[in-house]
Amino acid sequence: MNTELILKHGLTLDEYEVINNYLKRELTMEELGIFSAMWNEHCCYKTSKKWLKKLPTSNDIVIQGPGENAGIIDVQDDDAIAFKIESHNHPSYIEPFNGSATGVGGILRDIFTMGARPIATLDSIRFGDLSNFKTKYLVNGVVKGIGHYGNCIGIPNIGGECEFDHSYNYNNLVNAMAIGHVKKDSIFYSEPKTIGGLIVYIGSKTGKDGIHGASMASDVFSEDDEDSKRPSVQVGDPFMEKLLMEGCLELMNAKLIESMQDMGAAGITSSSVEMASKGNLGVEINLDKIPLREPLTPYEILLSESQERMLAVILEENNEKVKNILKKWEIDYEVIGKVTDTKKVIFKSKDKIVVNLPVDIIVDLAPEYDRPFNLPLKRKVQNYDFSELNLKICLDNILKNINYSHKSWVYDQYDSTVMGDTIFEPGGSSGVVKIHNSKKAIGATTDCSPLYIRINPEKGMAHTVLESYRNLISSNIKPMAITNNLNFASPLDQNIMGELVLSISGLKKTAEYFNTPIVSGNVSLYNQTNEEPIKPTPVIGCVGLNENYKTLVPSCFKSENDKIFMNGQMLEKKNSPYFLQDHLNIKQINQFNDLVNEDFELEKIHQKFIFNMFKKELIQSANDISRGGVIYSLIKMIKSKLGFSIKTQNELDLFVECLAGYILVVNQQNCQNFTKEANIANIKLIELGIVKKEIIEINQSKLNFNSIYNSYMNNFADKINN
Amino acid sequence: MSLSSAVITFPGSNCDRDAQTYLEILTNQDTHKIWHKDVLLPKVDLLIIPGGFSFGDYLRSGAMAAKSPIIDDVLKHAERGGYIIGICNGFQILTEIGLLDGALNRNVKLKFLAKNCFIKKNHENNFNKKISQDQCLSIPVAHNEGSYYNSEEGLKLLQDNEQISFLYCDEEGNTTDSSNLNGSLNHIAGITNKKKNVLGLMPHPERAFQDFHTSQDGQLILESLLG
Repeated sequence: MNTELILKHGLTLDEYEVINNYLKRELTMEELGIFSAMWNEHCCYKTSKKWLKKLPTSNDIVIQGPGENAGIIDVQDDDAIAFKIESHNHPSYIEPFNGSATGVGGILRDIFTMGARPIATLDSIRFGDLSNFKTKYLVNGVVKGIGHYGNCIGIPNIGGECEFDHSYNYNNLVNAMAIGHVKKDSIFYSEPKTIGGLIVYIGSKTGKDGIHGASMASDVFSEDDEDSKRPSVQVGDPFMEKLLMEGCLELMNAKLIESMQDMGAAGITSSSVEMASKGNLGVEINLDKIPLREPLTPYEILLSESQERMLAVILEENNEKVKNILKKWEIDYEVIGKVTDTKKVIFKSKDKIVVNLPVDIIVDLAPEYDRPFNLPLKRKVQNYDFSELNLKICLDNILKNINYSHKSWVYDQYDSTVMGDTIFEPGGSSGVVKIHNSKKAIGATTDCSPLYIRINPEKGMAHTVLESYRNLISSNIKPMAITNNLNFASPLDQNIMGELVLSISGLKKTAEYFNTPIVSGNVSLYNQTNEEPIKPTPVIGCVGLNENYKTLVPSCFKSENDKIFMNGQMLEKKNSPYFLQDHLNIKQINQFNDLVNEDFELEKIHQKFIFNMFKKELIQSANDISRGGVIYSLIKMIKSKLGFSIKTQNELDLFVECLAGYILVVNQQNCQNFTKEANIANIKLIELGIVKKEIIEINQSKLNFNSIYNSYMNNFADKINN
Repeated sequence: MSLSSAVITFPGSNCDRDAQTYLEILTNQDTHKIWHKDVLLPKVDLLIIPGGFSFGDYLRSGAMAAKSPIIDDVLKHAERGGYIIGICNGFQILTEIGLLDGALNRNVKLKFLAKNCFIKKNHENNFNKKISQDQCLSIPVAHNEGSYYNSEEGLKLLQDNEQISFLYCDEEGNTTDSSNLNGSLNHIAGITNKKKNVLGLMPHPERAFQDFHTSQDGQLILESLLG
């Protein structure tokens, strides 16, 4: 086969050689397409697999770890929670509205494919500098797209993050996470069991959209790519997905399905190979039966990423019943093939076999690379001059910096209360929904501190995971398990590869120590345009449980004169990366000191203390302390015009980051008990001050409450709209 | 008083389960679930047409649902004097089938709007009689097309017949430009038909009634009907 054609399909000549040696014949074009789709980074994790294998993926609550459509954990009784995060970075840069919308659609399918009804979504989105010409257009399009899809299908969006940094100028990140609820005995998997079982196609017709989407997602952009790659972006239809979801869940409730797999990246190719491989069986599919939107060649059908499609295996005797349910939901349905015992993937068209490949060559022979990587250089100790900084300047920096602004401009476009079970909406320390007809509440958060990870990937990742725990713990939710989305630049750069390897190592260490396994995830590499790499952005989605929603703790002030405490360990200014970046404008990575070590023991002691205080009902509200320090946490807690009056020895310390840092608000009458308990637990508390109506006061100097609060609330909209 | 009820599901409805939960908890009895292709409603006191994106909002919000087979019997139910509440997309559908006057346009800022809002009672009827004149209800909205519109004559008729049930307001009950978050004509959040047995409402009372919701004010609407 000609070399150019092979390279154009994203395969290396070595990879082609492996295939050729095994098959001992030329590939058909369709087969070449299949390898292109299955052996790219997006589908086979060839760069990251070696390292991902090291992650802890099981414990006594894990029902399903990585390798299925989503991970599933046991949340007691007969309830289980399915969840996963997935990126749609490349499409969202090329076509922000459809790119982000189909990102939401894809992750929701991953959830309901397993029989779980989606109950919440979150999204982690990152953009370049606001001054960059395209940023506002991208923000508008991405937010609109996420909202459009989620609102229409009717799943509440309960949280996420939105960050701006110049490293995303040419590669924005859109990671969507979804959570679903399923009864333990009603989980569905992709593994078919019955030889002769019918393979059925359910959902939208197949069109030309998204052909080669998965291989696009495994490529570096060059600037003139944008227009030429646009046709590779899928177009979503949330109404169709709503019908598909209701139809599939009804089929599964009636136990009419044996196995199911969504047609996501690499469409019918990936889903059918996946099924055959899981069952250690074969599949035979007639491409002439696939419902088409327009005339397509077999090659195009195999590679189309048209949205809202499912592949299922059913028993022949259930065919009529399946047909009737799908007819009710007005969903296209076709029997397209059957499960065989050949361990081969066979696609036919016009009575000709166009693909005839052993499953094991596609799956087991898939490349796995041990790419060379560099360890970060040892850092020199840096000293800084803080003499120019004072409270007023630092506060001003925070209020003007869009990364600190209230993000309601974003989430006011997302329906966060549909389904009627939302307890904590976006904007608090974690999003929380109740399991329908149950007292149990599920909390979730997405987190990443890319600056930390660039400075020191291993420690930075540990700090990121610890922060995600603190977000949940502040609401009285026990962290249970993790999904991750590893967004990196090109792994062919050994420094970047080093960041990937070390951040996985940091994740492993932390997740093992705190027994929060990684049950699902996604890798997105090559997030760079020419020589501009993104900051390493391994996003953590952490899910936790509260057994009785009445014990949840809000992250806003509740009543005047409550006392405000903090615990944890403040970092020194010179060791506080976001402080240095946001107040001293330090940008060059080699100008930062190394990160302080994570302290698992300290975190654990504080976790235990806080859960104990929640149990004794001594705490009114709580928030974690992270980027922006104590003062930013306090500003975020303002509600119903309740502000604060605090004292501190060093005003700049209010802006630094903390280890195991929480703000704890305690009713006056409980203070004695609370401080006594802290003493017993050997927890050092700092009493900051009290909650005060319409006042922000620091060391007895009154600041303008309305002007601070209004600029915190309105800065985002002002910046985006101008 | 006991209140029997039903909820219609159209393809794309996504607040049907929420409405059902609202009815079942507050009326303490089962609710009938009706599919849009059914042709007969059961004999019930109250029918809810729920929110969502019926038929994906294709063509125009509510326009396709207006052609569903069940609609004939919905019209008869209204004629018999049965109660109907259309919430959000349900309100849009009620205007499309002519039970309510006027139309819902795109929000004034052309963005989907999901947040807590405040509404207050205007003209009294059976849907709001348990609400005092100076009470502000905190209830979420979530819509793209919620800006109520009517002609000058249409508006005058609504006023003369006392059909304007609810107005958007701020926390203190003032109707201001900023409290009128979707730019509705005269701050209108909900209206009834002339007979006052059919209510259309953009905010979602079924998301504001349980102890874990941000507010429980949504109870008052159903409690008004329960007498």
